[in-house]
Amino acid sequence: MERFRQARTVLVSGALLLLLALLMLLGIAAGPTGFQLLEVFSSLVDGREIDRVLQTIIWEIRFPRVVLAASVGTVLSLAGLVFQALLRNPLAEPYILGISGGASVGAVLGMLLGLAFFPGVAFLAFLGSMGTLGLVILLTSGRFLIRENSLLLAGVMVNAFCSAIIVFLLSISTHTKLQQALFWLMGDLSNAQQTQVIGLLALIFPCILVIGLFSRPMNLLQMGSDTAASLGVNVKAVTLILLGVSSLLVSGTVCVVGLVGFVGLVIPHILRLMLGPDHRILVPGCILGGAAFMTGCDLLARTVPAQGEMPVGVVTAVIGAPLFVYLLMRST
Amino acid sequence: MVQRAFGLAFLIGVFLILLQPVQARMVTDQLGREVQVPEHPKRIVVLAPSLAECLFALDQGDRVAGVTTFSNYPPRARSLPKVGSYVNLDLERIVGLDPDLCLATKDGNPAKVIRQLESLGIPVYALDPRGLQAVMETVVKLGSLLGCEDEASRVVRRMEDEIEAVTGRVEALPRRPRVFFQIGISPIVSVGSNTFVHELITMAGGRNLAAGSKDYPRFSVEEVLARNPDILVINSMTRDNSLLEETRARWQQYPEIDAVREGRIYTVDSDIFNRASPRLVRGLQILADLFLKSFDVPVSKVSGER
Repeated sequence: MERFRQARTVLVSGALLLLLALLMLLGIAAGPTGFQLLEVFSSLVDGREIDRVLQTIIWEIRFPRVVLAASVGTVLSLAGLVFQALLRNPLAEPYILGISGGASVGAVLGMLLGLAFFPGVAFLAFLGSMGTLGLVILLTSGRFLIRENSLLLAGVMVNAFCSAIIVFLLSISTHTKLQQALFWLMGDLSNAQQTQVIGLLALIFPCILVIGLFSRPMNLLQMGSDTAASLGVNVKAVTLILLGVSSLLVSGTVCVVGLVGFVGLVIPHILRLMLGPDHRILVPGCILGGAAFMTGCDLLARTVPAQGEMPVGVVTAVIGAPLFVYLLMRST
Repeated sequence: MVQRAFGLAFLIGVFLILLQPVQARMVTDQLGREVQVPEHPKRIVVLAPSLAECLFALDQGDRVAGVTTFSNYPPRARSLPKVGSYVNLDLERIVGLDPDLCLATKDGNPAKVIRQLESLGIPVYALDPRGLQAVMETVVKLGSLLGCEDEASRVVRRMEDEIEAVTGRVEALPRRPRVFFQIGISPIVSVGSNTFVHELITMAGGRNLAAGSKDYPRFSVEEVLARNPDILVINSMTRDNSLLEETRARWQQYPEIDAVREGRIYTVDSDIFNRASPRLVRGLQILADLFLKSFDVPVSKVSGER
């Protein structure tokens, strides 16, 4: 049984990795100036010099973008998985504990004040998200943290309050800043530069490792906190660590790319429908599957509009929702 | 694959550095930034319609490689490759045109794209044409940047002559008409003292009812009624005539306003009033004609009215 599980994990990971590599390749090859798959291949395979301008476009504009998209997908899917496991609620997603509200208020405020995107806006977004997270935890402290409903409710209320603040801030902004803010609120991968992408990757790798180590406790938590405790899981410690690491990951990502919705909610569910509820398979599944999904969506967001790009959050919603409904119908 | 990519990126970086134009010079742009520009820029991507108009006014249209979506004047600019709108620039398209210089405007172009262009080795020269005087300074700066100083002096001289003609004509006005210049339809937005439209209104002999420290103040219908403009000018970026007519109809519900009662609601071509380019002088002339007409002072021709 154990061997079967391991084999299955390897197979699934392999398939998703292949999908991810394919999508990343397409992502580097396609953009507003055309589809240059052949040039990408000749550039990679025999290192032959191609047009200087094309070289710049492919490796300095598209490549960091594709890496960023994959990282964002990984972070959001994994965080969604963790939140759904910890809160034992299928509607849980990375922003639910007030992170999105706080980050948005910070970011929109930064943009209204005319701050540079990095560090100004990103830093304010991070402060905001940590602030609201702290507020939510404070509101539910005194109660045992695993009283999931109070955490969730506090998060939802804080998000709603922040939404009102954001709408007000938007209503007093000039039209150029409005467009910038709207793109951020729907997910904007075009802001990040190479240094930020590298910084994000540096944050992601250790955090993913930590989450991966907690796959088995996450499985046990599904049976209820008392059952899990009786099976040897230190529920409070596990919850705190996972919550902290995931929130950190999500905050860091949101600061750089804004609010990309839907990925954190839908990808864990889709993978659960395809792979089953074992977190030891789901964690690598989410890492690779989330990355692949996000890379694909960003590719569409960049290439589908005749002029400019769509906010990537639109694409994730338009694809994710029907996909999820289809899989749901097929599984019942 | 990642290592290979970084290796290639390093090689490109070296290649780009070696490929720096042999003839280049350091100049200071209108924002005080030091920029290294080529001696004779040949492929210029212009990141705002106002700057495109300036370049064409200087007869440098042949050196323009790309413009933004709404660059529609002169008609020749419409057929040039587009790089997105000036608030939503497409980095890849700009780089794809292989420019040796980009001209940006402080008001509107996203700073992040400017930084990304510079990090890719493309010089970006920033300008800030804020009003008639600043437009003339911009034209002069462009003249020295592109080696067409004579053209620039000619354009500036013509602008100065036309401005002087207008200020001469409007001395015939018995008083300063109260003007409400509407740039936003819903909500109603007008222009404050620090805008170039305010400068145009004042120079044309009018009194801007929205003067004040706030650049784009909002008004309720009540507040406009209280200020009772003599002349209502509607300038909207929408090219939808039915929307403009609807706005006019909405004002006509209030004959208590002098402008409505006397039939002085005018719509103007937004391209002329929104862009800080030499065509602003045209805007000045249009306003002067409207003001003179409202006091029945004879004018040589009336234009810009719809």
